[in-house]
Amino acid sequence: MKEDQVKPQGIDRRTFLKTSAVVGAVTAITGFPTIVRSQPKEIVIGSIQPVTGPIPDIGIGMQRTNRMAVDDINARGGIKSLGGAKIKLLLGDHGAKEEVARAEAERFIKDGAVCLVGPFLSGPAMAIATLAEQRNIPFVIDVAAMDAITAKGYKNVFRCFPKTELFMVSIGKFLDQIIQEKKVTIKKIVVSNVGDAFGRSQGAAFIKLVKDKKYPFEIVDHIEYPLGVKDLSAEVAKIKAAKPDVLFPVTRTGDSKLLLRELYKQRVELMGIISPGSPGWYEPEHIRDLDKLAYYVLNNVPWVNPKSPVFQDVNKRFEKMYPGQYLDTNTGWGYVGVQVIADALERAKSTDPAALREALRKTNFKDHPMVGGPVVFDEKGDNINATTALIQVLPDKNLDDRVKVVLPKEFAVAPYVFPWKQLWDRG
Amino acid sequence: MDPFLVLQLALQGFLMGGVYGLIALGLSLIFGVMKVINFAHGEMMVFAMFLSITLLLWGGLDPYLSLVIVAAVMFGVGYAVQRVFVNRILDLPEAMQVLVLVGLGIIFENGTLMIWGGSDLSPKTSLALSSFRWGPVTVDVPRLIAFILAIVITLLVLLFLKKTNIGKSIRAAADNRYGALIIGVHINRLYGICFGIGAACVGAAGALLVPLMPAKATMGAPYTMISFVIVILGGMGSLIGALIGGLIIGVAESLGTVFLPSSMKQVVSFTIMIVILLFKPQGLFGGRG
Amino acid sequence: MKRLYLILGLILAVLLALPGVLNNYWMEIFILIFFYAYLGQCWNILTGYTGNISLGHALYVGIGAYTATRLAMVFGLSPWLGMLVGGLFATGVGLVIGFLGFRFGLRGVYFVLITISFAEIGRLIALHLESLGSFMGLFIDFNPGFLNMQFRGNLPYYYISLGLLVFSLIVVRTLELSKTGRYLVAIREDEEAAESLGVNTLKYKMVAIGLSAFMTALGGTFDANRIFHLSPDRVMSMGLSIEIILRPIIGGMGTVLGPVVGSFLITLPAEWTRAFFSEMGRPGLHMVIYGFVLILAVFFFPRGIMPLLTRKLRPFFIKE
Repeated sequence: MKEDQVKPQGIDRRTFLKTSAVVGAVTAITGFPTIVRSQPKEIVIGSIQPVTGPIPDIGIGMQRTNRMAVDDINARGGIKSLGGAKIKLLLGDHGAKEEVARAEAERFIKDGAVCLVGPFLSGPAMAIATLAEQRNIPFVIDVAAMDAITAKGYKNVFRCFPKTELFMVSIGKFLDQIIQEKKVTIKKIVVSNVGDAFGRSQGAAFIKLVKDKKYPFEIVDHIEYPLGVKDLSAEVAKIKAAKPDVLFPVTRTGDSKLLLRELYKQRVELMGIISPGSPGWYEPEHIRDLDKLAYYVLNNVPWVNPKSPVFQDVNKRFEKMYPGQYLDTNTGWGYVGVQVIADALERAKSTDPAALREALRKTNFKDHPMVGGPVVFDEKGDNINATTALIQVLPDKNLDDRVKVVLPKEFAVAPYVFPWKQLWDRG
Repeated sequence: MDPFLVLQLALQGFLMGGVYGLIALGLSLIFGVMKVINFAHGEMMVFAMFLSITLLLWGGLDPYLSLVIVAAVMFGVGYAVQRVFVNRILDLPEAMQVLVLVGLGIIFENGTLMIWGGSDLSPKTSLALSSFRWGPVTVDVPRLIAFILAIVITLLVLLFLKKTNIGKSIRAAADNRYGALIIGVHINRLYGICFGIGAACVGAAGALLVPLMPAKATMGAPYTMISFVIVILGGMGSLIGALIGGLIIGVAESLGTVFLPSSMKQVVSFTIMIVILLFKPQGLFGGRG
Repeated sequence: MKRLYLILGLILAVLLALPGVLNNYWMEIFILIFFYAYLGQCWNILTGYTGNISLGHALYVGIGAYTATRLAMVFGLSPWLGMLVGGLFATGVGLVIGFLGFRFGLRGVYFVLITISFAEIGRLIALHLESLGSFMGLFIDFNPGFLNMQFRGNLPYYYISLGLLVFSLIVVRTLELSKTGRYLVAIREDEEAAESLGVNTLKYKMVAIGLSAFMTALGGTFDANRIFHLSPDRVMSMGLSIEIILRPIIGGMGTVLGPVVGSFLITLPAEWTRAFFSEMGRPGLHMVIYGFVLILAVFFFPRGIMPLLTRKLRPFFIKE
């Protein structure tokens, strides 16, 4: 009925009269205000992810949950405060190239996008953020960890994912807890990181944490290797020579597998592996391909909250749609990014970018599947309640259930194991 | 500096060098005969790795066995690529050749991405985790096997080229393209076979690497790079040079990590390349200019 | 020839007026076309006119970008000046590479490999220097203003990139007509013959690579202030080097308009295929198509497009 009112030219006089009569009657009876100005039938938002390029697995995953969230919201009736308008998601691929990220963003804005979501990598995030600032279109970052992005004071940028600082605060607390509860003495540690923007900054931040908190253990070696390297035998030989108690690696997906296999082959004795927060230790392929070798690795990541009913619902459907996959620290936030935008649209009651931006600023969103409190943005655009959990890969018959949250207790579903069983003693 | 660490690193680098040599062998053959730089070399290897993984996942065939099948398939692929694409550009200016081979590299890499997706695949293979101690060092079994098989394949290729008629024709065509045309050698077929063998070498290398490292569609470029370095070091067109060059680069890269941060180990290879280019461009084993 | 200049002038006038009807997205596309045509033209100075192929030109882009950006960050130096400093620095590096390459007689694939080696070493060093942001790269502040070479809208970038392109066209045309240019062409066609005729080939090749490096670096500064993020994997990578050479090769090396024609013919379809196929959700498909397009372009235009165009249009422009 509302569509008819928007396009009076499209119908004949009789229908028009009939309709207005009915509307008039309804208005008179219910007092329900008829909305005369045009309602958007669909709201366009743009998703820009690294679908091709060096990390296509993650890019594809992010795109999937961006899309899934849009479909879910539309299935539930769209944006109700805007008359049930559906969200139309434009899919973009930046392939890890900043100028492509910018061009895609520009294209979506031309096509009417009122908000952008993405892009996983920090370089493209910066390119899109600057464009968003230039065009005054809000940009919700689902995943990107580099602190520098929100440090620029852009008012259009909102980041859901926790920044590096938050990772370190958490791992510090977890380490304290582990050392105290398990009564272990850790004397020597080795930190390793992959040589890309993320690896280096995460590695450096962790080393700084260790030095600042004056832990009783010393960093006996800090090993870096280039991204995409396919042979870590030299690096592991160095780790072995350093004889650490615990290894703290920051990796990407390929090197985590290499690392474990090399550690096995070279018989490197450890109390365990604790990652300050990195990909590579929780992906379905990793769990499947490495089987028992993947067990007992602890990882500090902003994981999905296993106790959240939102997670349980979304994950069940995600696993069905994409067999062999499950919602994780990246794809989970992909879902959240879109949820936050939709929530802001509801509160803004408008698709005007300025109104949307204001609404985003006031976000206080609880119904998300991740650990941590409700999504609340500070003046810089960071989600102050984003936090990480300590996950561990534990034995389970079902491959998809092996990654479990072990700390903090409020989100934990299993007790953690530390020290671990050596790689070659696992049968 | 721990002498045992150095020994361990040198050994590991040496064994890996055998596989590098095999990869470079393919490039050297292609360049030596057709004077074409195969910018798609690494990407073809990655494609072969995924073929091998598929055979493993569907047929339970261990890469060391499926090696033969993968090499055969890659031979076919290489032959086709040469006949359809490369043949047309042999007489074109270099820059055009570069463009076509770069285009092929893009196609292989993204074709692999389209078929197998973007994740790292690293399925369990029978010997992936075995190792044994040999005195003060640990020997990585899959690396050792890769080394041995790589050497065997290299020797087979060398024998083929020296002893068989086709091999001799290929070498003749390399020396003198027009001369060979004049005497009626079916040169297109020869070039096809040559490229096919190059592709088969790189395919076998790919299969050998499956137990050693996770396969990812985008990992090819560094292998193309390193093959260049090795081929320059060993000498363009010299097959023994490719093998020896591979061993040297393998050890140099591995030992480089002792003195340099690991991320800089590629600097070692490129510096070697510059030095060789400046002072001995024909490489260690000289060869046809 | 006058007719040709008239037509070109008309095209330029159209391009100057175009922003009036273009939205931001299309301006973005044109900026990319102009920018890559510019870089390709700079590369053309070396390779098109001396025949020595460089596959490491991204090094100069990076030097230009990083130098100007660091100078701006540390000394507040306007990128307009910083870009000249970057250019000079790049010239220095280019001359070193050129000297080593030419002096040691490296030709063909050997020269290619040395340019690749230096570019990769440069990239790896940049990845390590803290002052250049190492792995994270540099995140550039957005302070719009002419002096900062940063703007809110795409319009100024459009005109700057167009300006750079026209500048490069003038440089190359002037070079072509000059004595230096004629010597370069002689060197390209037959270096030994030129040598034997007494031409100091080394000197002229050095001029070519120095000029090429300088101008390429200017482009780097422009790019840095448009994208606001610099990382070695973006501005100094093999990928960029390859992108740089594509347009002049397909357009026609050693011709003035080659890189421009090539840029229009590559960038537009590349953008369309990406936009079209991205929506389908088949990752990698648009790149496979891109690869085929490159290959087919070479098959159809084995000497580049310009030679073909010139032959076809020559009677139209040159009165016999």
